[in-house]
Amino acid sequence: MAAVKASFNSRLRFLLVLAMVAGAVVALRLTDIQLLRHNRYLQLAERNRTQVLYQTAPRGRIFTADGKAVAANAPAFDLYYLSAGPKDEAYFERLAADFAPHLGQSAQEVLDKVRQGVKSGKAVALAENLSPKSILPLKEMQLYYPGVYLIEENKRVYPYGSFASHLIGYLGSMEGDEWKNRDLSLDYRLDAKIGKNGLEKKFEKELKGRDGGVFLEVDYRGRVKRVIEDRKWQSGNDVYLTLNYAVQHAAEEGLKNSITGRGAAVALDPRNGAVLALATAPAFEPGMFVPYSDEPQPKSKRISEYNLAVQGVYPPASTFKVITAIAAIEKGGFDPEKTVYCPGFYDAGSRVFKCWGVHGDDNFFDGMADSCDVYFYTLAAQTGSAAIEKTQRMFQIGQPTGIDLPGEKAGNIYGPTKRARNRSYWFIGDTLNLSIGQGELLFTPIKMAQFAAALASKGKIWRPYYLDRIVNSHNGRVLQQGESEVLATVDIKPSTWDLIYKALKHTVDDGTARRVKINGLDVYGKTGTAQNPHGDDHGWFMAFAGRPGEEPSLAVAVFVEFGKGGAGAAGPIAREMIKAYFGIEDKPAVKPAPSKTDRAIQHMEAENVFSSIRLLQQALEQNGQRENNRDAI
Amino acid sequence: MTQYKSRLYKSRIDWLLLGAMAGLVLLGALCIMSAVNAVSFSNAIVRTHLIALPLGFVAFFAAWSFNYQIFDEQWKPLYGVIMALLIGVLLFGTYQRGSKSWFVFPFFSMQPAEICRVLTILVAAAFLDRQGRRIRDMRTLVLLGALLVPIFGLIMLQPDFSSIVITFPALLALLYCAGINVFYLGLVFSFAAVAGFFTVAWTYLYLHPSLLDYAVLNVFYNLASNPLYMGGFALLVALGGYAAWWFFKQLRIFLPSFYFVLASLVVLAGFFAGVFADHQMKPYQRKRVEAFLAPQSDPQGASYNVLQAQIAMGSGGILGKGLFSGTQSRLGFVPEKHTDFILAVVGEELGLWGTLLVLGLYLLILWRIAIIAYLASDRYGYLVCSGIFGMFLTYMLINFGMLIGLFPVAGIPLPFISYGGSNLVSSMLALGVVQSVYARRITSG
Repeated sequence: MAAVKASFNSRLRFLLVLAMVAGAVVALRLTDIQLLRHNRYLQLAERNRTQVLYQTAPRGRIFTADGKAVAANAPAFDLYYLSAGPKDEAYFERLAADFAPHLGQSAQEVLDKVRQGVKSGKAVALAENLSPKSILPLKEMQLYYPGVYLIEENKRVYPYGSFASHLIGYLGSMEGDEWKNRDLSLDYRLDAKIGKNGLEKKFEKELKGRDGGVFLEVDYRGRVKRVIEDRKWQSGNDVYLTLNYAVQHAAEEGLKNSITGRGAAVALDPRNGAVLALATAPAFEPGMFVPYSDEPQPKSKRISEYNLAVQGVYPPASTFKVITAIAAIEKGGFDPEKTVYCPGFYDAGSRVFKCWGVHGDDNFFDGMADSCDVYFYTLAAQTGSAAIEKTQRMFQIGQPTGIDLPGEKAGNIYGPTKRARNRSYWFIGDTLNLSIGQGELLFTPIKMAQFAAALASKGKIWRPYYLDRIVNSHNGRVLQQGESEVLATVDIKPSTWDLIYKALKHTVDDGTARRVKINGLDVYGKTGTAQNPHGDDHGWFMAFAGRPGEEPSLAVAVFVEFGKGGAGAAGPIAREMIKAYFGIEDKPAVKPAPSKTDRAIQHMEAENVFSSIRLLQQALEQNGQRENNRDAI
Repeated sequence: MTQYKSRLYKSRIDWLLLGAMAGLVLLGALCIMSAVNAVSFSNAIVRTHLIALPLGFVAFFAAWSFNYQIFDEQWKPLYGVIMALLIGVLLFGTYQRGSKSWFVFPFFSMQPAEICRVLTILVAAAFLDRQGRRIRDMRTLVLLGALLVPIFGLIMLQPDFSSIVITFPALLALLYCAGINVFYLGLVFSFAAVAGFFTVAWTYLYLHPSLLDYAVLNVFYNLASNPLYMGGFALLVALGGYAAWWFFKQLRIFLPSFYFVLASLVVLAGFFAGVFADHQMKPYQRKRVEAFLAPQSDPQGASYNVLQAQIAMGSGGILGKGLFSGTQSRLGFVPEKHTDFILAVVGEELGLWGTLLVLGLYLLILWRIAIIAYLASDRYGYLVCSGIFGMFLTYMLINFGMLIGLFPVAGIPLPFISYGGSNLVSSMLALGVVQSVYARRITSG
């Protein structure tokens, strides 16, 4: 019996060992679930039980240097129906009928949403992004309709409309899989509005705050049990720009009212390279991308995103004569008093180059003031194109300014070296074209402003910067600071600067730019009219200014597309910007006395016959390819 | 033999076993209260459980004080009681969830299948005890089968698969420990496997009608419904058995023809059991099989339950969220939280320590039962303990396995912890019988 029993026990022992092994497996698996995967399951459990009614945090504000909030926030409201409320069909109908008029929806739409919410047992948004105007009645009605829940949100507003629109950019919804590229630690929601352009895009990370929300505990059917937490939002960081409101505003107004309404204006502080104005026209209203839901929606959201100030490239035309002059003076043997006779054309041997007028005897200062092409043809013929190209390189023509904006164009340098690199030949005609800023030269408006600032600071090529600082909106701590940076220094003789300054002042005081003259300020400037084969000429104006006896503190470049002329189209805009910057009262522009230029124009009209002969001559002689680039003021 | 045992510490009760049981029961009561706390009918549940608990202890001590050998002697009346209860429930029982397995009395209801499970083990053990050295014969198995088929048949008629899922493995363990020929045991096992295969395969096809476009699968699927096909299949199996026998003869491997007949019979029996099970199966049970076959296919459906239970356990971590603080159970994400999925509540609210404690107490109980089986003064005591050991082992494996994703959801409670009076009382009764074996471990005289 005993033997039999022992064998039975071995089987039972086997089962016991089996049980222990199974127990160990189960224990391991339990450890796996409860210890190793604890965090993941905890997350799932939290997600199970919570439903969040999100509240968008206010985005950081954007300020100008003088403290105007050009991008701010306004309250917006969301209306929810929590299914924890009454579940009576008649109640829903009454609710829908009462609320619909305030939500800009039909009663049926509201009723459908309520029903759907009750069916799914979830809190449902009846309306989002409501304007403050309907809040008072909604708040009152909320008292009579339990289950209706109004939560406050924030919406981006741009108090100054289209102010600096191309710089500031706009907001939009994320597209497709865009959320995948987002920094997950910032908690982007699928319906979040993100910066799509300009600074809103560039400083997205800094501007975005932490969304708040009402955290509801729900059961497995989604029924709301209680409010767990009402988490307040955390607003984004404020961005302070170097922009000067008055200058920017003057620039935008000027561009808007210009002859075509298209162009760009840039103002820099020549003492540090700070951007005081960066305007592109036509501008747009960034606010139309984030409208209130109960207000009329914009019909068309088409805008021009093309930021002409940094992306548009045009021949600099006569403004370039400053570089020709610097090259000539620096080369030596230059006598500013030596006159050149301008008969209205320049005989280059194989070809005749015309001037825009007939200026007679011009010394250097009159040549600059009159923008006499013949004077600069002569100068360039003596100086040589290589020296002019070298001077261009000193001013970093053909390189981006380094302003921290996307899509900046570099422009184009023009000269024999560049030409040689392209395995082509250089002709005397190219030298003459170069001397008056035509040919293959291309400047962006920001480049032109950088050039003006370099003149104003006597040789400092600044990297333009627009960010003054980013400040934590809670504790005021500065998180990031804009830095001024000298990219290069133009090293030329002080006497050269004196000559250039004198010539440019003469241009404003008694030359092509005399419309820009402002009493009580030293204004230096140069106009430019870039010939355009496709339509009206483009107008350029480049200037810098300072109070008498002080160093210049403002550099300006204005460009008006199809503006017909530099003095007429771009000059007045620059004048308004300079006046705005120095705070000089608006006095009517000085009525220009008939000057040498006017006389020249009259003369040219009288000499009509002579000009026709000249034109005919040219037509016969020149090769058609360069036809477009010949003439300049 | 007796001298050896007389040197043991002469306790009348195995305190470890009692302690483990009491610990589980206490833990269970707390977890049930916590689980149903947020439910509207929580008071009724807690009240019922608190009534069942003393009843369980009464059953436990009653069984303990009885000499278990009385079950050995009176096994025939006991068998009669089982049949009476099972027939009675079919006649006078009440449908709940599609099964006619409840007696409803004015103040409580009871599930006779639960108590019958323990009684069946007692009866089977008594029968095997009587077989003596014939235990290794085929005849024993056939006779036992004849004895048990009516019981299983009646349970199938309710139908209550969960009960069979527990009772069948428990009886297998009993047979194994009784020393039955492992080859026969293999046959019984094959029978279950064949029956299970047909059921699962048909369920799978039932849930994937597109597969029926294949002619072979279509015929296979229709085997269950068409008597003509069934007959054809039976004939085919018989022919297959004969062909195999002939084939082996040609190879000059001489095996008794008896084996081939047996194999064919087992396949046929399994097939018909499968047909029967398939006819009795309810859609939600099919869903459970489906959820086990492909858990990812239907995250909101049947496998949702297991997932939510695992989320509950996982979110509990090591220390748990504290009693009455489990969000998964309190907010209703865990289904059947006070019955079959009570372990999820333990895991969520008491953490890893809680689940390991329950597991440890179960292993302690199993270990004590095995020891008591070893100490039993007679063969019947040993057999009874083996059967009860098999029963609790099955409970533990299936309930834990279901939660950790090793078994399909079977609707099996975890004795002592889960809510359910009948189960609690009959489980405590079973341990009472084990204690009775322990108390009488020294042979008189």
